[in-house]
Amino acid sequence: MRAELIVDEIKKQGATHIVGLPDNGARSLFEALWRDPDLDVVTVTREGEAFAIATGLYLGGKYPVVVIQNTGLFEAGDAFRGMAHNMGVPLVMILGYRGYKSLAPGAPKVDTAASFFEPTLKAWNIPYSLLTCDGEVTEQIDAAFRKAAATSLPAAVLLTVETT
Amino acid sequence: MLDKYTCLEKLAAHRTDEVVISSMGVATPWEKLSDGPFDLAHVDTAMGHVADFAYGLALAQPERRVIAFCGDGSTLMCLGSLVTIAQRPTGNLTLVITENGTYEVTGNQPVPGAGEVDFAAIARGAGLREVYTIEDETDFDAKLPLHFQLPGPAVFVWKIARAEEPVPKPNRPILERARRLKSALAGVAP
Repeated sequence: MRAELIVDEIKKQGATHIVGLPDNGARSLFEALWRDPDLDVVTVTREGEAFAIATGLYLGGKYPVVVIQNTGLFEAGDAFRGMAHNMGVPLVMILGYRGYKSLAPGAPKVDTAASFFEPTLKAWNIPYSLLTCDGEVTEQIDAAFRKAAATSLPAAVLLTVETT
Repeated sequence: MLDKYTCLEKLAAHRTDEVVISSMGVATPWEKLSDGPFDLAHVDTAMGHVADFAYGLALAQPERRVIAFCGDGSTLMCLGSLVTIAQRPTGNLTLVITENGTYEVTGNQPVPGAGEVDFAAIARGAGLREVYTIEDETDFDAKLPLHFQLPGPAVFVWKIARAEEPVPKPNRPILERARRLKSALAGVAP
């Protein structure tokens, strides 16, 4: 998936800051974000910080987007709950779907990062959609921003393939 | 050893338009001193995430100082945030680490490393440069203006005496507190 398409759509939606932690799938996305002079990228040491910083940015009048892997979301559960959710932040999250291919029928071994992922999102009442190809970028990211704005709560887009 | 109530009173008397984020053992006494739109009790949120939350606010509001109170137990929960703050410093952030060696609001159980951990050394090791430990009231009085003046991120470690604060119960639910602060920072009515 072309990273520039995601960057362009995030900018079109008015995002000011990216807060997150790179993973393999989002490596090219972060490189594209760092290259972009219009976006302020804050990298964190652990994913829970991303939700705290993003919440502070939003209350201060900015429009952050969080970019982390599914494993990081698990680690950040309390920060997501207590900060972004409890403080009513319309926060779009781009979440790397580690192990997505391992869920395919016949795959030799399921990655629990993947098998735990969507059930967790459902349990936490996080609306989400899957990004599987370039043609879905505009529609899915736009839908996440509209959902977040309408509910004043976070919404997620799941990155199922590596960015290039 | 500092008396936190005295220190908070002096800080409140000095404070003008700064955002103040309180938490845990400081939340209730601060709310008694100040409960305005630029105050936010970081309670019913996420343990340990005061410094990074305040950092986000400070990044968003570079013209306004943000003062955040982090307990020693809370600070230990998210030490990496000091590194995050140091890598992209913002000049308007003041962190106060209130060190009493206990989880005060849950009954003063000792925090890991109580009395042994050097928070100032950790902050410096994370890359922060303006770091001060304050142990007595004379030194506190001398350094009080620095809390408002130093180019940040500034860290003050207050060595405070043990006290008996109950679990804080702020005057408003967290969503209302958050919206009130956001409105105040935007200059609009909540």
